[in-house]
Amino acid sequence: MEKDIVDYCLELAKSKKIEYAEARALDTNVENMVIKNGLLDAFAVSKDSGFCVRILADGGLGFASSNKWTKQEAVKVVNLAYKLAKNAKRKDKIKFAEEKAVRTKWDVKQKKKIENVSAEGKIERLMEIDKAIMSQKTNVVARTLVYQSTLTEKYFVNTEGSIISSFVPRIEVTPFGVTIVEGGKMEQLPFKWFGYTGGWEAFEKWKLEEDLTREVQVLQRLLREGKAVKPGKMDLVCGPEVVGIACHESCGHPMEADRILGREMSQAGRSFIYPGGPYWIGTQIGSELVTIIDDPAIENSYGYYLYDDEGIKARPRYLYKKGVINEFLQNRETAAKLGTRSNGASRSINYDREAIVRMANTYLQPGDMTEEEIFEDIKYGIFMNSFTEWNIDDVRFNQRYIGREAYIIEKGELKAPVARPIIETTTKTFWMAVDGVSKKVGFVSAVCGKGDPGQGVPVDTGGPLARLRGVYIK
Amino acid sequence: MSEIMAKTEEIMKKGKALGADEVIATTVFGEYRQLRFSNNQIDIGVAWDDYTTNVLLTWQKRVVATQIKNFQNITPTMEQLFKLAKASKENPMYGGVVQGKFKYAKPMADKSIRDVENPSEYIYEAIAAAQRKIGKNIDAGGILFTKYEQVFLVSSEGPEGQDERSAIELSIRAFAERDESGHGVECNSSLKGFNPARAGEKAGEIAKMAKNPKAGKTGKFDIIFEPLFWGSMLGAYGMMGSAFFVLTKMSVFADKMGQKVGPAIVTIRDNPGKYSVSNRVFDDEGAPVKETVFIDKGVLKTYFHNTSTAKLFKTQTTGHAGLVQPMPWSLEMDAGDMTKDEMFEDTKRGLYVTNTWYTRFQNYATGDFSTIPRDGIFLIENGEIKESWKEIRLSDNILNLLANIAGISKERMHVHWWGEADPPSLSPYVLARNIQITRPE
Repeated sequence: MEKDIVDYCLELAKSKKIEYAEARALDTNVENMVIKNGLLDAFAVSKDSGFCVRILADGGLGFASSNKWTKQEAVKVVNLAYKLAKNAKRKDKIKFAEEKAVRTKWDVKQKKKIENVSAEGKIERLMEIDKAIMSQKTNVVARTLVYQSTLTEKYFVNTEGSIISSFVPRIEVTPFGVTIVEGGKMEQLPFKWFGYTGGWEAFEKWKLEEDLTREVQVLQRLLREGKAVKPGKMDLVCGPEVVGIACHESCGHPMEADRILGREMSQAGRSFIYPGGPYWIGTQIGSELVTIIDDPAIENSYGYYLYDDEGIKARPRYLYKKGVINEFLQNRETAAKLGTRSNGASRSINYDREAIVRMANTYLQPGDMTEEEIFEDIKYGIFMNSFTEWNIDDVRFNQRYIGREAYIIEKGELKAPVARPIIETTTKTFWMAVDGVSKKVGFVSAVCGKGDPGQGVPVDTGGPLARLRGVYIK
Repeated sequence: MSEIMAKTEEIMKKGKALGADEVIATTVFGEYRQLRFSNNQIDIGVAWDDYTTNVLLTWQKRVVATQIKNFQNITPTMEQLFKLAKASKENPMYGGVVQGKFKYAKPMADKSIRDVENPSEYIYEAIAAAQRKIGKNIDAGGILFTKYEQVFLVSSEGPEGQDERSAIELSIRAFAERDESGHGVECNSSLKGFNPARAGEKAGEIAKMAKNPKAGKTGKFDIIFEPLFWGSMLGAYGMMGSAFFVLTKMSVFADKMGQKVGPAIVTIRDNPGKYSVSNRVFDDEGAPVKETVFIDKGVLKTYFHNTSTAKLFKTQTTGHAGLVQPMPWSLEMDAGDMTKDEMFEDTKRGLYVTNTWYTRFQNYATGDFSTIPRDGIFLIENGEIKESWKEIRLSDNILNLLANIAGISKERMHVHWWGEADPPSLSPYVLARNIQITRPE
């Protein structure tokens, strides 16, 4: 990375009539591998490197980027960003919330460096996982493993004097389409994400052989013993994966301030929370047990960062607190509009994308119940440990989750597996029904989609077991 | 030979000199511009320029790839890539890349797309068109996007060519009230014929009709799909048509070759033709692209192939190579013989749905899925729109949806929107019978 070109961009921007400018550069070493049905389809290794400039001038925003590291290109990029900002010609001028300058360096340590593991070693590790998937006595007709690692060096400077350097290694394995056929029937694990910010030690944490072997056993048992659920109102216990997706979809997304203000209206949509609407800060949305936190600073989490892409220090955001809408996810633009401060939620996936409001690691705060206590007084209900199909409307209120691994609960005990139980409900109904939360939190990684062009950012989602009373399951 | 082509060839030759069996180098110089708007104002202008050479290298059935930015560090990058190939693992199923010299169609990119002087005017034109339908008091958001790419491909197996690809897209979602919205898109490969007002009118028209929506009901309905909505469904069928997804059982079309998957009125093809925002003359191996009939009169005719997957299926490449997986470029559903009005007349009790998002599958091999209609949703009774609805979900099976198609319109629209109606398509209005609708309980 040529930091002098990044600094040069900032100096050029300063020479223009602007309110604010920042320059950001990323150098990323990327490795990708696809293992399809036990064979290495392709191994890709590359270095991506480029820089961008964002300028606020006359109340308009302009952004330009390039991966051509020359001073001539820097001039072109700055001029383009400035022109785009000036051409916005907004009636209500964009402002950024006040922030202090930060000068710091931060990095994530790898216990075992990804770059020190040989290509052969990486392939071998993935092949071992593939073998584990195939180790069960069933007919696995397809499975694919996708591996990705990124080693990202980032440099950020702005006209307020911030200078931030960082190094972040990330690693991800995504099994998809694990499909088994028995007796003419088919079951499938569509996707599962494993993400980690750190080094090769991720594999020790994930225990992928154990995890995916279990997933195959779950599919197999579902094919052999799965029963349909008798639709009706009943108690539902959600496992960390289901709690996590619900936190992400029906709390994290609607609490993004850019959505609330309408900036995503044509793509990812708006929010059921909006100025002058029935839901705002202080409105009840769940039971007292529902506190949902988005925290970028959880060590080794997939969504980990210490400073966001506007140079703001990360901190936990208490989105829903004791069932009440508490704090939105903010960047500097939304914070200025809403009369508050940024809480460090501005993220970008690369040098060629603007930073927008994003989640990091979103989870339900644990309660004080043991897992036994969660189940023991349920006469009849469903335990949904994981999900397959899911979706939610574009104001983040009407949602559905379909169980992948799920069981009938009778008199506090887990019984037969249930085939594809569905909860199709609203945000408020879901969170108001929570009457029990266990002590132990689990996390599941995901890639969150938002932005145009799309920016998939690494996140974690999670929580403890959550018990919902009297919800409709079909 | 241009300097860029010469540099691209140098990369290919470097790989061959190192001992590679096959090397394909593709340089893309791309200029991308986007204006994002919401609340009727420009939020940000974005420009990204990309100078990248994608390299595919094979050695003894080991497939590796890399990217070179702005022709920097060619020698060390290629040496590292070849080293990776040697360390990699043989894929006995690998079937090579396309061989031979080809004469490609002449690229017809519109260079004027690079120099649009006041692109924001297109946005204001679209907003004004929506306002003419609804009234001044609207809230509109969306994007204006332009693309201009110069592509240079050199393959050690013979293909060599240059392409220029251009596109301009406008997407507008207009709100009359919080829950009264419509969405329109305008997509073109050229400025000629690009009509942003058309997208604004569509968005405005739907938003106006969507007045006072009521909570929808669960049940089976006949459904009329707006082309933008149907473009999302075509995207799902197209993805599942890729041989990669067939091989990984992420497709309902596995083991169905030659079988009837829809009624005889259904013909779907892929054609990245001159009009398409995904226009191109060759694929990532250098195979010429062509019109490919995917489903012909209801019968599954082919998957989308690169050379390697084609060999596995004992057929020829269809010109759909991506670096790892073949994918459709630009889908077309053949026009039917109905008008939109006739579809309404044919519907005793049904729904007219205009857009959707968040399509997700329980099981890609069986096709059980749901998707969430957004913007205008309308209950039809006896051929007339009875009321506006909201808060429903289409929850069915994607093969069942295809099988239940009862009508296709003569009119088609070129649609592409965000990650939902993707890849681009030439999409008609479609009438499907007896489709399951659910809602929160």
